[in-house]
Amino acid sequence: MEPNDDDEPLGNPADSLALIARERANLVRDIVPDPRWMYWPWGIAWLFGFGLLFLRFGPGGRVFVDLPAWLPLTLLSLSFMAAGAVTGAVGARSALQTRGPSSRQGLMYGLTWGISFFGMSLLFAQFGDAMPDDKLSLLWAGGLVALAGALHMAGAAIWNDRPLFVLGAWTSVTNVAGIVAGPGWHSLIVAIAGGGGMLLFGLLGWLRRR
Amino acid sequence: MTDSTELDPVIHAQARLRVVSALSVLREDDRVTFPRLQESLRMTAGNLSVHLRKLEDAGYVEVTKTHQGRTPATFVRLTRRGRLAFEQYQDALRALLNPSSRLEEMP
Repeated sequence: MEPNDDDEPLGNPADSLALIARERANLVRDIVPDPRWMYWPWGIAWLFGFGLLFLRFGPGGRVFVDLPAWLPLTLLSLSFMAAGAVTGAVGARSALQTRGPSSRQGLMYGLTWGISFFGMSLLFAQFGDAMPDDKLSLLWAGGLVALAGALHMAGAAIWNDRPLFVLGAWTSVTNVAGIVAGPGWHSLIVAIAGGGGMLLFGLLGWLRRR
Repeated sequence: MTDSTELDPVIHAQARLRVVSALSVLREDDRVTFPRLQESLRMTAGNLSVHLRKLEDAGYVEVTKTHQGRTPATFVRLTRRGRLAFEQYQDALRALLNPSSRLEEMP
């Protein structure tokens, strides 16, 4: 066969090492989902959903914006579903580029989020008439945030990913702080600290891999 | 380069070094689809096939043809032997850059 240009070795070891680093970074960028697409939809959903919850069910029963009582939780659920659909699609797109243990792990982890959120939501939906609206909101919000924090920490354990563990632990701590502070405060704390934490996490992850 | 006798001739060619570098990102037993690899490396399908065949002949990569539903799909992975060759190649490059540290360079 005729030798062509790229059959030639590079002249200098430093160039070769740079080439290696470049090609490795290229494939990582192509097969690992962009952290912005994985975390920003959730950060936005939390800011928006829990923000609305705070405005309708403020601390001490205060109503900052007089929305229908059913609206905040409905919009919160819808924004969670939208965020789940975006991250699910982005994650699946990456997973389809590869095959093997890593993509199986990713698939199982993604399904874990979907299945556990469904189960917990179904449980909470049984209590619609059993308690006042502010307590009900705290039950939904506190339960779902606790689950999200736990799943982030579990993901960190699977991939030995310290920053992800920090995100999960931070989410869990803000959730506990909010629960202790009570209905209303919980929504505000989780919207800003939890949602903001995910926006920041997506940004840092993106900067790190650029 | 005068010292090229100790550099692995299979991956000394620039194109094959690029292929092996990209594949080295995958964890053991993970495979990447041929089109993804091709796009990531910005090579033509024909060119990539030629280099994959040479790497396959050396036992450095494994190419699997399978089906995703009805469409045929080709997956590529780096073998253990390929990974070892790649690591040794990288070590050799670093040793060439910094000959004095050759003895201490035990990864």
